[in-house]
Amino acid sequence: MAAIDAAELRAAVAVARKELRVARRYPLQLVNEVLQPLYQFLLPSLLLGATFLVGGRAIGLESVTGTADLAGYLFLGTVVGGLVSAAFWEMAFGLKREMDAGTLEPTWLTPTRPDTVVLGRALSGLVIAGGASAVLVCIGLALFGATVGQGLLLALPALAIAAVSMIGVGYLVASAVLLIREPNFFVDATNFLFAVVSGVAFPVLVLPALVQPIAYLLPTTYAVDLLRVYALGTRPLLDPALEWGALVVLAGLTIWIGRVAFRRTERRMRVRGTLGQH
Amino acid sequence: MSLPSLAADVRAFGAAALKEWRLLRRYPTLFVGFLFWPIALPLAYVFQARGYAGDSAAALDAFAARSGTTEVAGFLFLGWAAYMWISMILWGPGTALRTEQVRGSLEALFMTPVSRLVILFGPVVSQVVWAIWMFGIVAATMALVFGVEIALASALRALVVIGVAVPALYGLGALFAAVVLRYGEVSALVQGVRGLFTVFCGMSFPIVVLPEWGRAVALALPPTYLIGDLRRVLLSGASLAELVPSLAILLGLGLLICGMAVVAFRRTERYARRGGSLAQY
Amino acid sequence: MSQPAVDAVGLVKEFEKGRRTLVQRLRREPDRRERFRAVDGIDLRVERGEIFGVLGPNGAGKTTTMKMLATLLEPTAGSARILGLDVVHQAREVRRRMGAVLSDGRSLYWKLTARENLEYFAALYHVPAAEGRARIASVLAAVKLDDRADDYVERYSTGMRQRLVLARALLPDPELLLLDEPTVGLDPQSARDLRDRVRDLQAQGRTVLLTTHYMEEADQLCDRIAIVDHGRVVALDTPAGLKRTIGATDVVHLEIAGDEGAPVNGGLLGRLERQGQVTHREQRDGALAVTVHARSARDFVPAAFDAARAEGAAIRQVEVVPVTLEDVFISLTGRALRE
Repeated sequence: MAAIDAAELRAAVAVARKELRVARRYPLQLVNEVLQPLYQFLLPSLLLGATFLVGGRAIGLESVTGTADLAGYLFLGTVVGGLVSAAFWEMAFGLKREMDAGTLEPTWLTPTRPDTVVLGRALSGLVIAGGASAVLVCIGLALFGATVGQGLLLALPALAIAAVSMIGVGYLVASAVLLIREPNFFVDATNFLFAVVSGVAFPVLVLPALVQPIAYLLPTTYAVDLLRVYALGTRPLLDPALEWGALVVLAGLTIWIGRVAFRRTERRMRVRGTLGQH
Repeated sequence: MSLPSLAADVRAFGAAALKEWRLLRRYPTLFVGFLFWPIALPLAYVFQARGYAGDSAAALDAFAARSGTTEVAGFLFLGWAAYMWISMILWGPGTALRTEQVRGSLEALFMTPVSRLVILFGPVVSQVVWAIWMFGIVAATMALVFGVEIALASALRALVVIGVAVPALYGLGALFAAVVLRYGEVSALVQGVRGLFTVFCGMSFPIVVLPEWGRAVALALPPTYLIGDLRRVLLSGASLAELVPSLAILLGLGLLICGMAVVAFRRTERYARRGGSLAQY
Repeated sequence: MSQPAVDAVGLVKEFEKGRRTLVQRLRREPDRRERFRAVDGIDLRVERGEIFGVLGPNGAGKTTTMKMLATLLEPTAGSARILGLDVVHQAREVRRRMGAVLSDGRSLYWKLTARENLEYFAALYHVPAAEGRARIASVLAAVKLDDRADDYVERYSTGMRQRLVLARALLPDPELLLLDEPTVGLDPQSARDLRDRVRDLQAQGRTVLLTTHYMEEADQLCDRIAIVDHGRVVALDTPAGLKRTIGATDVVHLEIAGDEGAPVNGGLLGRLERQGQVTHREQRDGALAVTVHARSARDFVPAAFDAARAEGAAIRQVEVVPVTLEDVFISLTGRALRE
């Protein structure tokens, strides 16, 4: 059993390595991983924030969150946004792209489990997202006056647990995506909603009362909050100990539900025979 | 141009638009997207603005002073409506020719006697329906969800502003199409141009918050005038007379860009005829 | 007796036509979609060490059968064992010991080199890390791509890509290989090369199960052939045995004209039918073109001339060819393999 598991792990690493190799051969796309969050979200958000500054300070933001570091607030949000994006686009949508291209079917002919292949995609997605996030945070520090404290290091375990939970979400989205004919809108919209409701772009507390409970069910809400609490000294949504607990429990739940859903989808595809079709 | 050939071109326009419409209808998820994004995207920025205002009246006053209005939701919705319209133009007509080239049907198109203007601007026409739909959704959301009052007179003035912006924006789409046809690599170009507009045209902010050099760039871009004037007309009650200077610049830019598009397209066609790249991908 | 490489009994695969909408699903409406049987009860037994062919036209159910054996598709009914292992309940074990080529070069990563593609799949096939490099070298040599291993697949020809796909299937050092239409889309030289590689595989002691709609390929390559049509096996034997079933060894093509352009009368056809099996007739340029399966052309042709003279007709052209599997297929199904 141990030998078999080691082989599955090696297979997952091989998938990640393959994805990273292919990604390296499209350098413009890699640059876009940094540029796109910058011009599509960070810059418009910063400029909107600048419109509310009083004497050069984000006092409005400070009144809600406890920090006036607008740039730090937003750039740290993109770190978690990157994790979400990796799950939706790299894991799920990327899988569908492979299926349509015809490169997924041969992997199902091997003894490696299909969910291990998806896990491998998650690993490469997280590496790319992690790299892009690191570059973005450096840009925030160097060019936009973000002041992220050393407390950031204390939040890294939260990021790791959030990454695990996003793998679970990725499995769930991958299951849906394999069954939908044109998943572009579905992936785009759910990625957006997930990130927005988690508080990546703004404090969860400004969401309407009906929507806020959903935010508390998302593991990424706690990850982004803990990140900001430790790095910027913001006011936590809940007692941090409670947030850590919620993060761990939700991560466990999402991984379990995600894998079950994916295995069901896999079975369905073997019965329906839709693997090679698009 | 003789009357019969003009009539033929108009018919060809209609046929081009109908073809695009039929292709769009085959992808039903596009319909859902056209309902979702015009509401969801600006709404996210409205919530963000609420976060930035927080409990501070001073912060909200700062916004009003810089933007010229206290209607934060209206300000953001109008900005993003313009962004989405521009996106539609760049992704749609802007890439239509490239898509034809990739599909392999461009050569056939060029072999018809139809005027080149039809080929360039035909697909654009079908976008008009979507543009009307999208602006309608935005207006309805502003009025019904955020209580922004839109008087009929203001709405009509807004339509004038949109009309004046048409040559500039569709000219951009056509210019884009010609450049893309010549150089390929659609996606990077679209992202670049969209990025440029997002950062400089004041879609989510008033351009006064930009540094001086940024404002200079903004004032050279047509979307800046479109967004600014829409906001002045619908949120600050400005009259058309007050907008004449900026509308004049917008129209002037539009005519210039359309001219550039035609020149670029003619050059591209000549280059393609010489090199045989109409059929290439 | 050793256990067969493939043992399929009563394999059936049924598909539903169309998709259910979300609304239908949410309402839990009964599934009223039309069902069609791509595979309608196929029995196959492939002995170890043989090259076994499944021959049939497009749409006969060959690929669906292969996918079931390859564990990509679950059978609707029936059972199949690969090397003694059940394809449904022991699927992973089956995949460890079997290699399959079910797709063409599009299933490779064109932005990677051949070696990088194989490294990836070696890990997926659980080839132990220590053996990986040697195994890759060995499969590249087997398909004669060792000198191009570090080129990007996008620079390969179609034939080379197909050989690389075969190399990929050899990574698990499989006892059994499933090849679905392996030479489709290849030029004659590349197709010949690939067939040579298949013979090499048999010489190494492996079993090969392949599908094809090229009857010459099946004839040249296979020890035994199953002819399938409409999801069923309609005949199964060695190539020679199959040809014997139609009771003829020669196919004679005749072009017959009536005297001075008059139409050929029915009496002549009746006489020809007494000498052999008329499988095809067609009016062409004022003459009647007839195809006959004859036990021996040497006996049939003179008899045909006699019959023609007696009926006032003249035979303008005679062509004699040996019986092929195509003729077997026509005689069994009434249609050509390539309609």
